[in-house]
Amino acid sequence: MARDLVRRLGSWEGLLLVLLLAIVAVNAVSVPGYLGVQNQINLLQLNVEKVIVVLAMTMVIIAGEIDLSIASVMGLAAVLVAWLTERGVSMELAIVIALLAGVLAGAFNGFWVAVVGLPSLAVTLAGLIGFRGVARLFIGDRSLGGFPDWFTGLGQHPLLGPIPFAILAFSVLLVVAAIVLQASGFGRLLYVVGSSPDVARYSGVRVRRVKWSIFIISSTVSAFAGILLAARLGAVRGSTAEGFELDIITMVLLGGVSIFGGSGRILGVFLSILLILNLRNGLGLLNVSGNAQTGVLGALLILSVLVPNVARGVRGRLQARGGRSLPPPGRLTEGAEPSPPVGG
Amino acid sequence: MTLAEATPPAADPVSPTPVIEIRGVRKRFGSTQALDGVAIALVPGEVHALLGENGAGKSTLIRIMTGVEQPDEGQILVDGRETRIASALDAQRLGIAAIYQEPMTFPDLTVAENIFISHRDRGRLVDRAGMRRDAEAVLERLGVQLDVSQPARGLTLAEQQTVEIAKALSLDVRILIMDEPTASLSAHEAARLFRIVETLRRDGVAVLFISHRMEEVFDIANRITILRDGKWILTAPRAEVTTASAIRHMVGRRMDDFFRRTPAELGEVVLQARGLGREGIFSDISFSVRAGEVVGFAGLVGARRTDVGLALFGVEPATSGEILLDGAPVTIRSAQDALRLGIAYTTENRRELGLVLPQSIAANISLPSLRRYLNALGLLRVSAERATAVAFKERLRIRAASVDASAASLSGGNQQKVVLSKWLNVAPRVLVLDEPTRGIDVGAKAEVHQIIDTLVHQGMAIILISSDLPEVLAMSDRILVMREGRQTAVFDAAEATQEIVLGAAMGQPREAGQPPQPDPRPEPDA
Amino acid sequence: MTALLQRIRPERFRELALVVIILALIAFFGSQIPDFASGLTFTRISTSVAVIAVLAVGQTMVVLTRNIDLSVGSIVGLVAYFVGTFLTRDQGINPIVVIAMSIGIGAALGAVNGLLVAWGRVPAIIATLGTLAIYRVFLVEASGSRTVTTDKLPDWLLQLPRVSLFSVGDFDILPLAVVAVVVIIAFQLMLRYLPFGRRLFAIGSNPEAARVAGFPVQRDVFVAYLLNGGLAGLAGFMFLVRFGNITVTAGQGLELQVVAAVVVGGVNIFGGSGSMIGAFLGAVLIDLLQQSIIRLPGISEFVRDAFLGLLILLAVASDKVILGRLRALAARARRQQEEERLHSDATGGLGSGP
Repeated sequence: MARDLVRRLGSWEGLLLVLLLAIVAVNAVSVPGYLGVQNQINLLQLNVEKVIVVLAMTMVIIAGEIDLSIASVMGLAAVLVAWLTERGVSMELAIVIALLAGVLAGAFNGFWVAVVGLPSLAVTLAGLIGFRGVARLFIGDRSLGGFPDWFTGLGQHPLLGPIPFAILAFSVLLVVAAIVLQASGFGRLLYVVGSSPDVARYSGVRVRRVKWSIFIISSTVSAFAGILLAARLGAVRGSTAEGFELDIITMVLLGGVSIFGGSGRILGVFLSILLILNLRNGLGLLNVSGNAQTGVLGALLILSVLVPNVARGVRGRLQARGGRSLPPPGRLTEGAEPSPPVGG
Repeated sequence: MTLAEATPPAADPVSPTPVIEIRGVRKRFGSTQALDGVAIALVPGEVHALLGENGAGKSTLIRIMTGVEQPDEGQILVDGRETRIASALDAQRLGIAAIYQEPMTFPDLTVAENIFISHRDRGRLVDRAGMRRDAEAVLERLGVQLDVSQPARGLTLAEQQTVEIAKALSLDVRILIMDEPTASLSAHEAARLFRIVETLRRDGVAVLFISHRMEEVFDIANRITILRDGKWILTAPRAEVTTASAIRHMVGRRMDDFFRRTPAELGEVVLQARGLGREGIFSDISFSVRAGEVVGFAGLVGARRTDVGLALFGVEPATSGEILLDGAPVTIRSAQDALRLGIAYTTENRRELGLVLPQSIAANISLPSLRRYLNALGLLRVSAERATAVAFKERLRIRAASVDASAASLSGGNQQKVVLSKWLNVAPRVLVLDEPTRGIDVGAKAEVHQIIDTLVHQGMAIILISSDLPEVLAMSDRILVMREGRQTAVFDAAEATQEIVLGAAMGQPREAGQPPQPDPRPEPDA
Repeated sequence: MTALLQRIRPERFRELALVVIILALIAFFGSQIPDFASGLTFTRISTSVAVIAVLAVGQTMVVLTRNIDLSVGSIVGLVAYFVGTFLTRDQGINPIVVIAMSIGIGAALGAVNGLLVAWGRVPAIIATLGTLAIYRVFLVEASGSRTVTTDKLPDWLLQLPRVSLFSVGDFDILPLAVVAVVVIIAFQLMLRYLPFGRRLFAIGSNPEAARVAGFPVQRDVFVAYLLNGGLAGLAGFMFLVRFGNITVTAGQGLELQVVAAVVVGGVNIFGGSGSMIGAFLGAVLIDLLQQSIIRLPGISEFVRDAFLGLLILLAVASDKVILGRLRALAARARRQQEEERLHSDATGGLGSGP
């Protein structure tokens, strides 16, 4: 069963790689200079804030939770830096305050999930509406800009060779996320809590603390990404980053992270990020509108869960047709494999 | 209880046609022969008690009768005709219903709706007034007063069972299987349930009654069938069986293939519990364990031994009484507390509570002591983690390709050894083992016993919770017997026999010597 | 207190509390906002509640089965736009056909959700987050971002929101409100009197027992989505009637208001309990707040969303914390009563065997 899972994940990542190469190949053939460094950097930079949050969301989903409030926290942080600088607060202080707001938002979500025991779906849905509302309280329907040059420069101009700051930050966070998930004690606990929270509790793991911290991480990273977004756009509105959660969750799930928690790797998520960015770009080259690209993403989101489910169902039926009347030895105490609940 | 007491008007086992008859049924799960040629026949208007130790095959028999499992061999006759019960729905159509210790009600639906939810032949609209009336009528037939328009959520367990019986009745039940229906009921509630059973019996329902309470079996059964190790042992009218003879038939398992403990040197008392209790679950448990001692916890399903273990481990903390470690009172509110104090607990449910199945053996072993395998940056020291796992793999002879294999890929016995490794690795002073050999093969079982023996010699204090009577007897220095959340007896290993222990577990007063223990006080004054 | 607990089920507390809160809010707004208690306010709130209430009825069915449908906002927009476009091309179509078409399109879209969730085993949140995007994209693409405008719509449709069926004092009762009330009552009756309705509760209440009892769980979940889609289609038609001008962003964000209404109305997000009346009251409360809070002097209109988020959270938390307490209290009171009764007639001891 678990070996199956490993094999499937392996082949999932393999599948992503093949798809990615195919898309890149098609794009490269149809557009001269597609594979150029500058083009790839531009591609990434246009979505860099989203993909930074993808890293945090990967951890949240591996831990068996979901955070729908990320885009609103991004918006809130972006609005805060704009609003604070407008009131004459120094840029540095404004950034610190916006990050702190992210920490607070995460602590707030985490409190309701980890301590009170509410479902993260409901809590972060409230956060999605509420944090956006708080952002609108600050900014109303205005558009704020007027950041210092160094700040917008950070968002818009290359910092190291051709690479802008945000992409550097993403690269660093990518490595950090990979290390945390694959090599750290905290990462180990995320998988354990996500796949078997009861085993964790029976093993003396502080499940609440793990859950609480994961929401704080998720919101803080979102706030950071929101600040980067403000820097890149140069101006902030109440609707900044609205609707980003769809792209972000899609990238995570397409990367092979199970929505039921406990499995998934950064490698798959990284491949799925590249896949989606190149796909969007390719669709753009084919004159498919940005709007229609969103539709493709929606379909990908559903398919990334539906396809493994259907595959499992087909395999189960094939096995059943094999006609085993007896369970195999050593499965006496084992129930049937739990099917995922209908819905979440 | 003696033979001279009034005999119930026993249904003649010969003349009426059995409403259901099971013949020569066999069922095998992997290497375990759960049922080996079992036969039983139920006639209308009888209460037929089914007795047997844990693992005797009662549950499998019920699952076959209710269509959940299919027998490998043998016949089922309903009304004299050979019948296949392929599904729960089939069983319902044949008039077979089962009531379990944990009722299957819908908490948000009202009592009346729960009773009639499975009816599909009552037209397209729910006639709510009619439904309420009918529900009241059914309940009245059972002699029960319940507000039929209240939701099932607030009902007591006993009331929920009544609702299920009413549901069965409304579906024209002819065969009612009751699997330990009284295990969680108070004496009053049980008495009321028996009145209901008697009503059903008079109406011609065949009742198959499974209970670990001997006195109630002898109160309400007309006939008794005893199973042991999946085999049919005896069926007899109640009058021909005594509690003593029944227990003798149930325990006739052989003990010689069991590991013999080598006596270890007893040290100081390590852990002591005084009047330990958790509200509504268990109460007034007092015992002590010394270094180098195994204290066995015997009892039947529902005796709440696991809950005592969970209280010691802090997962479900005790609400009354006190726990002393080395003579000093300690507070255990969480597993972290217990681990800090050197108390570890291996769960009886290793697949759901013991192991992270998709993860490797090494990751499972290091889980409770993960901090030891982290460097200053919080990163895992993988080589140290693997080294520990490899050492345990050698020491406990875990059969796996490597310590990187997933826990799910192991057999039950090897999974159990991984669980043991996981907890031995925290170097506990007190180890609570909950059903450490359940569902594992004979070889692995002997190895686990060997491990226990070694640990005791190293001075560990062990609490062994086991439903396997010969195992408890062979492995323990002292045996504490529990029954329905109360402590009923403590024996030295030397004076304990299977019969005495099972008697105590079933609420049978000790035959020799002391008078029966008085009912423990309901409120332990800690 | 004890007597009260016995008379009123904890679940009913929510509805009572909502009524009290709504009345208190009306009194409060009435005292703060000039001309609040006017026919105009009533008309404004009742037309806007009507759309949300119809959606809340559908959402309630889905949530009862432990699922959720986030795609309703897109369904509303899609239906409103397509039916509107259809009408601008041919003004002579029979209104009945128009309404049937709205419901039909909605039901088809709902069926897609139902298939994905019930048989595809895609978690509801994922499936409907996906279709939320897909349906909206379909609308934008197919419409070419054109807008339906009132000047091309048939007269009967334009007149509909202005027709007063009858009046109660200053308050005009409008067709939209009547439709909503009919839907609420019809589906409340269905929940109570159809076996299907009872099964929805059962499935969310104890899925394991529902399976053991042999219920057609997957089919029921599918039908819940189908009906929800149909109601969203109807709401889409009502949306068209209410606004007349339909852009491609029509109905965007409605799903959040609807989920909020349902949760605030006491429908348990874990499934199994709730009522159409509760969902309706939740819709009224939310709409009342949203429509009125901005009329308060000195309050920014932007406080609405922050408020809404908090309201959802409090509703879910009170479900878990307060309702849990109340239930425990009620159970204890019952047990006490039980023991007293047993004490008074402690005759039937153990062993009343044959």
